[in-house]
Amino acid sequence: MNLSRVWAVTYKEWREILRDRLFFTMAFVLPVGIFLVLGYGISFDVEKIPFAVLDQDRTAMSRDFLHRFIDSRYFEYKGNVQSERELDPLLAHSDIRFAVIIPPRFQEQLMAGRATSVQSLIDGVFPYRAEVAKGYVSAIIANFNAQSLMGYLVRKQGISTEQARVQVSPLRLESRYLYNQALRSQWSISSGLMMLVLMVTPPFLTALGVVREKENGSIYNIYASTISGSEFILGKFLPYLLISCLNIFILWWVVMNVFGTPFKGHPVFYYAASIIYVICTAGVGLLVSLLVRTQVAAVMLTMVISFVPAMLYSGLLVPIESMGTATKIESHLFPTLYYLRITWGSFLKGLGWDELWFDVAALMLYAVILWVVGFLNFHKRPSA
Amino acid sequence: MNGHAFLLWWDRIIAMTLKELKQLIRDPVLLLIISYFFTADVYMAGSGINLNLRNASVMVIDRDHSAASRELMYRFRKPYFDLKGEISGKNEAEDLLNRGRILAVLDIPENFQSLLLQGKPTAVQFQVDTSNTVLGTLATGYATEITAGFAQDFVAKRLGLNAEQMDALPVIQNRHRVLYNPNQIDGWFMSISELLTVITMLSMMLPAAAAVREKERGTIEQLAVSPLSPLQILLPKVISMGLVILLGVAVCLFLIIIPVFHLPFKGSIGLFFAVTALYVFTTSGIGLFIATISHSLGQVTMLVILLLMPILLLSGAWTPPEAMPPGIRWAMYISPLYYFNEIGYAILMKGAGVDILWDSLLGLTGLGAVFFNFGVWRFRRQFG
Repeated sequence: MNLSRVWAVTYKEWREILRDRLFFTMAFVLPVGIFLVLGYGISFDVEKIPFAVLDQDRTAMSRDFLHRFIDSRYFEYKGNVQSERELDPLLAHSDIRFAVIIPPRFQEQLMAGRATSVQSLIDGVFPYRAEVAKGYVSAIIANFNAQSLMGYLVRKQGISTEQARVQVSPLRLESRYLYNQALRSQWSISSGLMMLVLMVTPPFLTALGVVREKENGSIYNIYASTISGSEFILGKFLPYLLISCLNIFILWWVVMNVFGTPFKGHPVFYYAASIIYVICTAGVGLLVSLLVRTQVAAVMLTMVISFVPAMLYSGLLVPIESMGTATKIESHLFPTLYYLRITWGSFLKGLGWDELWFDVAALMLYAVILWVVGFLNFHKRPSA
Repeated sequence: MNGHAFLLWWDRIIAMTLKELKQLIRDPVLLLIISYFFTADVYMAGSGINLNLRNASVMVIDRDHSAASRELMYRFRKPYFDLKGEISGKNEAEDLLNRGRILAVLDIPENFQSLLLQGKPTAVQFQVDTSNTVLGTLATGYATEITAGFAQDFVAKRLGLNAEQMDALPVIQNRHRVLYNPNQIDGWFMSISELLTVITMLSMMLPAAAAVREKERGTIEQLAVSPLSPLQILLPKVISMGLVILLGVAVCLFLIIIPVFHLPFKGSIGLFFAVTALYVFTTSGIGLFIATISHSLGQVTMLVILLLMPILLLSGAWTPPEAMPPGIRWAMYISPLYYFNEIGYAILMKGAGVDILWDSLLGLTGLGAVFFNFGVWRFRRQFG
């Protein structure tokens, strides 16, 4: 390993990057761009579900019941319909995602101390949102029931409201939200996106850098020179590592200042772990560049093996516990899972080396394997 | 235009289309990647992804050790929760939560059972890791439901009420009906969403790549001096790639989505393919625009990704329009994928026809006309 040769390649590569204005701008704009768009675009806060009402009772009690939906910030009232048939086109056109149908004699039944039923129609196209909406509806109905029962007990057994309350709901569940008290999904998403963006951009840059030389033939200059394979790869990689290290800072700044996510961990630890992660992901780009000959193929392949696991198998959108066994094993094969733990641990939980050493070690192992495989497979004499 | 000129015009288009197809067939890596996207990628997205809470690890601090506390804790069971056992105290709980080994801790206080038996109010504490808000929200929701159910049964037992008498109370019974996807199978939603994303990406990428490749290799000059008009150069690229994409969609629907995920195809197949063709045409306009401003495939791919991100996010595929902030909601109307999503889900899952979807179709057609003309206009300025 001759450092001056490595340096020569690095210098050449850096000049080349600087001269390709579009590429250089993209190397910084692309990560932040992806970041902002995804950070603002993905929201798991299920609010303002548009809904319509079919009230077949039209009494004080049915109106009182409906107002629990209309006044809730989780639902957005879109109007009243006259018959069930009117609901179908509204649902099919996504004008509403939810409908409540109150049966005739709703008030009469309840006043007489008998049970009645309310039907809710929920649009199931987005299963997660349907599930949450179902939860809200159950909560509103449970709340209404508790009050209705209390009133009934007060009247029937002649006890005080306080006693009736204890009788109806003797047990409360006190929830304590750890690490993200306000349950703001933007905190989770924005910090989690560090993982996604740093998974996607470094391999792109690295793969394109190597494949570009292959595609326009200038790699033969390298093949014919005295430089060794490992010197070439290392030299190629250093400028992109520098760009990615700067990008870590930029993204970090965006997470904290644009999205207002707190950082509770150790900055030095997190930065070091991020650099290891970037070395890992750039190694993915190196492997891609060995496999393909054209830039389009390089980009497509990187997309496949970086974006998909980052999005789907990291735990960012889909909790690991909810995965099937095969997918669960698969998700442990990608570095994204470990870095996401480090990221959430550092930003939201305030953890450090003591708790996260295993994940850092996994990343290191990953980096070593990727780069060793890369070095071993880079041949100066192409097979074809 | 007389009949002869008309035939000649089409002859040229067909000849160029065949040329594009041949060129594509001779790039095996690209073909492989395209078929990967339409099969394995959609399959993985549909099978592994589950946004509902399954088997979330819970541990219990049981300070009461009574029949009631045991009964409550054994209600935290599959499919939502996975009871991992008991722990002794707060410190251990905190450590396990920090490491992400468990999602939540249920804390049952002393005298839990005796307070309940005396009819006095009590509370249990539920600590949830909300660094992933989706999981946190769902877990809290289910836990609330479980404790409420437990309390209700406990009260009924204490008051000596049987099921029949419970029915004779003035309560509302909740009848949910989830439409279009009654069992809330995530695979339906995810696989369709992935298919629509793949269509978007390829219909931007492939025509743009086909156009820039000519630029990069200099063959565009040959085309420029040939009797072909700019439209005759560009349209075949769009037609040939459109054919490839439609073929991919057919493969994906009939080999993956319908047989593997058992999606009940509700709407008209012909309508879906017609809309897909229209959509490919729309997005390829964006691709052609990209091709005019970039000089190499590397630049094309960067621009495609940069534009693909906002198109995806503003499409409502991950976050439906009603959940977006008002400003972003307006921006959604310029994302072609927004219309395609509306139409795609409506045809495939809701069985909607043209009568319901006319406005989205109109929007998509309008956008398509604007984008495509813009792309051709740019190209004409460059090479006309």
